[in-house]
Amino acid sequence: MRVGLRTRVSAAFAVGALVLSACVSMVSYELARSTLFSERERTAVRATYFDAAVVDASLPDRTSDVGEVLRSLDTGVDRYVLLHRDDQWYSPSAGPAAGSAVPAALQEMTARGTAGAQRIRLDGQAALVVGIPLRSGVFYEVVSLSELDRTLQLLALVLTAVAIMVAGAGAAVGWYVTRHALRPLTTVAAAARNIADGDLDTRLDPDAEPDLAVLSASFNHMADQLARRIERDRRFAADVSHELRSPLQTLSAAVSVVDRRRDSLDPKAAAAVGLISDEVGRFQDLVHDLLELARSDRPADREPTGMRELVTRVCRARGLPDDLLEVEPGTPDTWPVERRRIEQALRNLLDNAVRYGGGPVAVRLGRSGDRHVIEVDDAGPGVAEENRTVIFDRFVRGPAAHARGGGDGTGLGLSIVARHAAAHGGTVSVGERPGGGARFRMELP
Amino acid sequence: MGSVLLIEDDDRIRLSLSMALEDEGYTAHAVATAEEGLEAQRNDPADTVLVDLMLPGMDGFECIRQLRRVDDVPIIVVSARDDTHDIVAGLEAGADDYIVKPVAVKELAARLRALRRRARAVAPAVSVAAFGDLEILPEAGEVRLHGEPVAVTRTEFRLLCELAEHPGQVLSRQQLLQRVWGYEIGDERLVDVHVGRLRHKIEDVPGAPRHLVTVRGLGYKLQR
Repeated sequence: MRVGLRTRVSAAFAVGALVLSACVSMVSYELARSTLFSERERTAVRATYFDAAVVDASLPDRTSDVGEVLRSLDTGVDRYVLLHRDDQWYSPSAGPAAGSAVPAALQEMTARGTAGAQRIRLDGQAALVVGIPLRSGVFYEVVSLSELDRTLQLLALVLTAVAIMVAGAGAAVGWYVTRHALRPLTTVAAAARNIADGDLDTRLDPDAEPDLAVLSASFNHMADQLARRIERDRRFAADVSHELRSPLQTLSAAVSVVDRRRDSLDPKAAAAVGLISDEVGRFQDLVHDLLELARSDRPADREPTGMRELVTRVCRARGLPDDLLEVEPGTPDTWPVERRRIEQALRNLLDNAVRYGGGPVAVRLGRSGDRHVIEVDDAGPGVAEENRTVIFDRFVRGPAAHARGGGDGTGLGLSIVARHAAAHGGTVSVGERPGGGARFRMELP
Repeated sequence: MGSVLLIEDDDRIRLSLSMALEDEGYTAHAVATAEEGLEAQRNDPADTVLVDLMLPGMDGFECIRQLRRVDDVPIIVVSARDDTHDIVAGLEAGADDYIVKPVAVKELAARLRALRRRARAVAPAVSVAAFGDLEILPEAGEVRLHGEPVAVTRTEFRLLCELAEHPGQVLSRQQLLQRVWGYEIGDERLVDVHVGRLRHKIEDVPGAPRHLVTVRGLGYKLQR
């Protein structure tokens, strides 16, 4: 999967912030470390010189008790002293002490008569050894640096935490900035959605976002083209319908004149007139349905509609009994729908039930979640599983069409139902009715 | 049965429709232009006028307006145009009904019969219905606003009477279609446009009606 622009920009912000803050942290750590160490070293050396002077003064000859002299020094807990004299190590604690803590290099240096200091690790802890040659030997002081070490560790911890927080803040800034940067695109997306929903007048303001003027301009151009094309199609449908309607009107009226005189025609002519009359009727239905279909992509013009009344009226007009209507408890009285189109859809579903399902056995109004539901049941042969999608396509007719001999439909009825449902943002589907037959279900928001 | 004036520019439709109407028992007089139609209606008024909208010269809308200026003869638009825009414009010009071509002759005859029934209909039981400054006198066939008579067409008058018989009660568009136009099933835009036209005549501010009010999702009612 491709990582989104916002994620990438935020990650880049985070990495940038991390690198920057890490550099700053490292430099400040190094500065602090060297400053603190040299400060500490200077103090240690000064203290050692002081102690060395005391020891030097107290050991004028080689007879004094070295241990006593060393013990008299005030060394505290983080320092201890050693004296190297005549190849022997002395420490404040009685008895000879090991000079192993003092590195060989420093010993050599002091042996040549030069004072020196070296950093070492003693029992895993940082320490500083300062050596000063005296008249009576070499005086060493080992100073523990563990406290300084701990301070530096704490500093490192704090700086790392700061670096991580800065990186996090960088990511947050990236997220925030891209949200602002992408806001114009959100507007474009919303406009595109509007157009897809049928509002062809949606345009972007090209002056609103100078950086995206090109995008706005081409979007608007696209919308103009689309609107022009749809308008052309619409006009074409209207023109075609008009051109078809006038001759159909003549045909219809003329056929009715002949039809009235069918009795005086010879049987063959009468049969032919009957055929023409039927076909003219079907032709009229076809033109009507085609136009309905051509216009069905317009968004629904909703208003609160009393559904119980609508269903009752449509059923009555079809000569169907009133008790066909079942209203589930909790169904609202008025639905936000375009009355004309829902009426047309219901009529088509009822016609379909009459034509292919042996007549409707129930019309149900109900609610499913936040959607309104109309169901039309018939007790016919039902719709085979594989046909349940295709029957909503254009010019698809069921196998029972000719069985009843009641005239063929236009093959457009159910596709008009589907389009009207879609114009409301709803769906239509067909399933099985418990007990046999088909159940057409229209769900509307 | 009655006479029908057919104003239609298409020769074939004119001929076939007038033959079919004669079969249904009407005396049909067919002309090709609005001007001829107005002339014919002046000289020998027909009981009903059928008019196409797209006519050479004066168009159907203007023709309806001119016919309306003379009297309240029932007018039906018979047009191939079925855009809401055209339907509303035709009704607003003053037509009583709108039929989209192609119309079956039986359907046309049924509409004509319904119109004639309406024209002959007996006046409702009430003799005077007063709604504040609006008075309806069914027997006299008169409507008065602030005491001044208002000119309404027969269909508008029937619509008003129907609403006046049920003061303060909501009548649905379908109920009105049934009671005023006599249609079991019909185009509800008929009711809306007639209500709109009536408001221009009986309301002081048609945009904010006081008497003839819309009850959203249900229908219309007449009130003080």
